[in-house]
Amino acid sequence: MSRIAHRFVPALLALLATGLALAQGEGGEPLAGVRGGPVSAGDYAGRRPSEGARPEASWQKRAAEGTKPEEAIRDGGGTGMRSGGVLWLADTPPMRGEASRGRRGGGMGGMSMGGEHGGPPMKRLWLRAGADPQKAPFAHQEADASVETLLVHPLGKPEGEPLPSPAEGHTGLAFAMPAQGFYRVYVTTRKLEGDTLNVSVAKTEVGNFGHGGDEEEQKRAITAPRVLENAAIEIVRERQDKEGPFSQISSGMDQSFIVLQKGLPAANARVRLVSHAGWVKEMTSDEQGRVSFQIIRDYFPPWDEFQKRFKANYLVIAEVAADESGNHNDQPYTRVRYQATLAGNYSPSPNDYRSYAWGLGVGLLAVLFSGVAVYLYRRRRLKPFQEVRFDEKA
Amino acid sequence: MKRLKDAVDRVDLNRFRFWLQLAMFALLVYGGYLAVDLGSRLPMFSCGFNEEGRAGVCYLLPLQHQLSRPWPQLFGIAGVSVLTGFGVFFLWFIVLNKGWCGYVCPLGTIQDWITALRRRLGARYSRYTQGQFRQLSRIKYLLLALMVLIPLGIGGGWFSRDMGTPFCLICPGRMILPMFTGDFSQFTIDFSSKTALVMTALGMGITGLFLAGAFVKKRFFCFFCPMSALHYLISKPALLKLKKDGDKCTRCGDCYTVCDMEIKEIADDIKTRDIMMDDCILCLKCVAACPEPGALKANFASVTFFESTEAGFIKRSQKGIGLEQPEH
Repeated sequence: MSRIAHRFVPALLALLATGLALAQGEGGEPLAGVRGGPVSAGDYAGRRPSEGARPEASWQKRAAEGTKPEEAIRDGGGTGMRSGGVLWLADTPPMRGEASRGRRGGGMGGMSMGGEHGGPPMKRLWLRAGADPQKAPFAHQEADASVETLLVHPLGKPEGEPLPSPAEGHTGLAFAMPAQGFYRVYVTTRKLEGDTLNVSVAKTEVGNFGHGGDEEEQKRAITAPRVLENAAIEIVRERQDKEGPFSQISSGMDQSFIVLQKGLPAANARVRLVSHAGWVKEMTSDEQGRVSFQIIRDYFPPWDEFQKRFKANYLVIAEVAADESGNHNDQPYTRVRYQATLAGNYSPSPNDYRSYAWGLGVGLLAVLFSGVAVYLYRRRRLKPFQEVRFDEKA
Repeated sequence: MKRLKDAVDRVDLNRFRFWLQLAMFALLVYGGYLAVDLGSRLPMFSCGFNEEGRAGVCYLLPLQHQLSRPWPQLFGIAGVSVLTGFGVFFLWFIVLNKGWCGYVCPLGTIQDWITALRRRLGARYSRYTQGQFRQLSRIKYLLLALMVLIPLGIGGGWFSRDMGTPFCLICPGRMILPMFTGDFSQFTIDFSSKTALVMTALGMGITGLFLAGAFVKKRFFCFFCPMSALHYLISKPALLKLKKDGDKCTRCGDCYTVCDMEIKEIADDIKTRDIMMDDCILCLKCVAACPEPGALKANFASVTFFESTEAGFIKRSQKGIGLEQPEH
């Protein structure tokens, strides 16, 4: 048996080397299009991404480009931040340099393990203004806007606890995560503009789980309530089927969100999803406040720079206007414009870099090769029948 | 009590083993659908990649995950979770010793089914020479060492994270066991990096070898299994033991003939009392095949619950089940 192994193992290795060489030679560039179902790595052969790739007809490349004047207000004018644009909480600072280079995933953005003094892990978030998930700058608070920051701890009060605002000259929020579970941060900004009160709620959800952690605790964290009852408006990402603590959204998946006001569904809210590369899709929430998007594939690096753990940012923006009157800082208003944001991450789909054809090909070849080798080995050891005749006279 | 013991000693072991293996296979591969969860420290290949149906997870998966943590974590407070994980694994293990391989491991059961198929098709099986046997027996220790050192190297920044769980990437269980719940997603080559490409291609190649090898060689993969090596290294305090009384042994060789793992010492060694060797899967077929009363025994916590008897041997011989004769 080992003699057989000595013979076909080098051949198998040679086969693998050939596969490697072919993959290097053929799989140079990823496919530009998105439609058409799963794409295997073998499909990349000889294709180059087209500059004008349109992921889906109804998506618009708008966020990364200049905002139209009439949309300036809608995109966050009056949110109480000097930088303008929608406010959202990110776990990465604005990107500098080449736009196509995103952050490599696998790690935890904005997270330092062990804290500053070897304590629980610390999470750092940045409030950013603008609808471009890659380049939106830091937001800076305006003097006449009121800002309230809440942290909802997985084991803490459901209504959350105030989180200290960043010190003057700093833009980041930092908090410790001593327990396993999901931490939610809400930054609510109120600013009066004429007779309209702009209420903006930037929210993010941060998971803190360890592979060696308590599995029961992890299960409880997955099913724990995730709604802030007294939030003026918020977006809740619906969990995927069988989602675990380490699950990730990947491009190609459908993802639904629910828009809530004071814990109740907000119907007919205008909801936009902005992808990492700035593609925008707009929809209206249904009676349950639900809206569903397909996360498009918009990660097209040169193939030798492809990272399967690349974490792209998406941004969801929901807006609702209401004829409500009241007073804010002793100033009357007759109309309220609510805006909620939620940022998250998504990774490349495994269909982008995995190939069934090659996998089954290698497996089948190994079966055939070893099967034939055993057959030939056995045949060679068969001794032909030889009749032995005794010469009785001798 | 004596009647019960006689009944056990005369049991049709192969039939009993077949049904027990089938039940264990169903439990471990489909138990997840019934919300059965035995944890992630099991001493056999209940594959973690079988996300839908698994009733527990093979310990090698979390072990490699844990060992690949950055060194400051691994050699700090996180090291406690490695030790507690190993403690739970050890507690599971000492109950059945290597009986986990012979009666519970789903990948071992699949190999036994492939052997049964081969027998029905009339193809003869292969045997190793003693020289080949000795060489092959070392491979599992090498794989065990690599399975520990590579994750440590990842934690130290020497190897790519794409090597992640190196043994799982090349283990045929990753491809074959999820297949039983309709998940074929592991039958792929990962082109995202050179490391991933080589490891997944190696995994598919080994899966092909596994299927072909198990067809011509009984328990083909068990010779290379690092879990088997780990079992043997910690088997001293285990409760289930295989004992041999050399004074009663006539060295007839029946035990060696039926041994799926071709352990020659089971017939030749008449001095060692604890006769379980590192390749043994504690299937106890040797006890069932032994005609000498009391020569081979299976003990649990020092209590003999199954031993070779003349009556049992004759009964099993007359039924003609399982006591395979060598094919020349």
